[in-house]
Amino acid sequence: MTDTAVRVTAPAPVARKNWKLADSAFVPRLICGVVILLIWEVAVRALAPAYVAKPTTVALAIPKVLTDPVFLKATGETLAAVAEGLGITLVFGTIIGLWMGRSLTFDRAIRHYINGFNAIPMIVVLPLFSLWFGYSTYTRIATIIFAAIFAIIMNVADGARAVPREYLEVSRAFRASRLSVLFGVVLPASLPYLLAGVRLAAGRALIGAVVAEFFLSIGGVGYYILYNSRSYHHNEAFVGVLLLAGFGVGFELLVNWSIRRFMPWYRRGDKS
Amino acid sequence: MPTAYLRRHAPFWLSIFAGLALWEVAGRSASAAFMVPFSTTLVRLWQLIVSGGFFTALLDSAELFVTGFVLAVAVGLPLGMLLARVRLLRVGVEPYIMTLYATPMVALIPFILSMMGFGFAPKVLVVFLFSVFPVLYNTVEGARSIRPELIEVAKSFRSSEWALWREVMLPYTVPYTMTGVRQAIGRALVGMIAAEFFLSSTGLGQLIMGASQNFDTGGVFASILIIGLIGVGLMRAGLMIEQHFARWRQ
Repeated sequence: MTDTAVRVTAPAPVARKNWKLADSAFVPRLICGVVILLIWEVAVRALAPAYVAKPTTVALAIPKVLTDPVFLKATGETLAAVAEGLGITLVFGTIIGLWMGRSLTFDRAIRHYINGFNAIPMIVVLPLFSLWFGYSTYTRIATIIFAAIFAIIMNVADGARAVPREYLEVSRAFRASRLSVLFGVVLPASLPYLLAGVRLAAGRALIGAVVAEFFLSIGGVGYYILYNSRSYHHNEAFVGVLLLAGFGVGFELLVNWSIRRFMPWYRRGDKS
Repeated sequence: MPTAYLRRHAPFWLSIFAGLALWEVAGRSASAAFMVPFSTTLVRLWQLIVSGGFFTALLDSAELFVTGFVLAVAVGLPLGMLLARVRLLRVGVEPYIMTLYATPMVALIPFILSMMGFGFAPKVLVVFLFSVFPVLYNTVEGARSIRPELIEVAKSFRSSEWALWREVMLPYTVPYTMTGVRQAIGRALVGMIAAEFFLSSTGLGQLIMGASQNFDTGGVFASILIIGLIGVGLMRAGLMIEQHFARWRQ
């Protein structure tokens, strides 16, 4: 291992551009993946009771779970809730963030609250929200919004603050109205920040949805996992976890891709 | 001096004061089951502190948080550095770390519950799982930032492996690790509360759960206030740690 390290550290910075090198990463990845699955399989077979999820049994459970209407319904419910929550979050978060970034008074008035709420572990509000909205889907939406909105606000505010001065001066010289400056200049200029916020917010929204489903016992992937693992159907429950992991990663990749695709100037120098 | 101080900090105090006033008014006009005013929350908080229930809860939670978090850093930092040095291993493992980093770890809590039960260890595992991946992920990310020339120069001067780690790897990677540490603090806090909610009920999580089950809205608000303040304090500490190390970062 050590002799390879000396040799291969040199081409590291080129790896992103050079597709052949990226392809060569496939083999070690595959090997590592197989090794991880093997260790898991062997460890569970040797040490854990039969009901505990292991790769072979989970793989066997996948087709069954994916065609199970209960699971599909649960997935749909969770996804719809996350999408709805993120939609609301995006609209209000962007508006508040833009306002904060462009108005010093407003920023000073609410910045400590935004920072403070952002620092509160979001699960803490669940008991309160369940008092307010009952054991219902409203509580889930509220939790998702609470979990996600502050990340958006903070990032958009940072972005709006970082808009180059010249842009604003030019738009003032052309007598652009405040509103069109805000949505025509400031918003597009802070789009990379917004996307960074969205990436953060989406992960938190997913956690918020799952936690809310655990806590409230309302239908969704989180509840599906809870119910099946309680009844010792760990393999089925684990497919739910895989699905959630897939969403998490998928969203991350989607945001990264759209930054590279639509804002190629942003990434430069950010990651080497 | 006092006017300068006032000018700088007046907006802060004004906004805090306005917020508390708003809370007070909202609390007084709403039903007591939904919302309690700030004054009642303070009274309830004082009762919790005097009865001692608050401090035992705080100690329980702190023990859980610190154990899980220290374990996460103790595992994440060396492992991340190792991955940084052995490039082949890093390339192989990276996508899996990224996947786990993006996976909502809460989803594993039911499994941990049914396999490990209600002790202290499963809760530590939850906090650990929540916080280890940010540390690991950012350490590996930092390792990518090491310019290969530096290692080559060190090698051509016949630097020993240990000196290479100490003089090149560590200073280059640690600032990134600290970004991970800051993220991990926030996540560990979420993990702590989640563990206390869904595994055996102890600490601050139990304080808030108990209050909500007894429809003690004042207690709920008091606990949220305290946990919020702890969260803000920890975040601030994390930011200070990060900025302290960020001076090295390019």
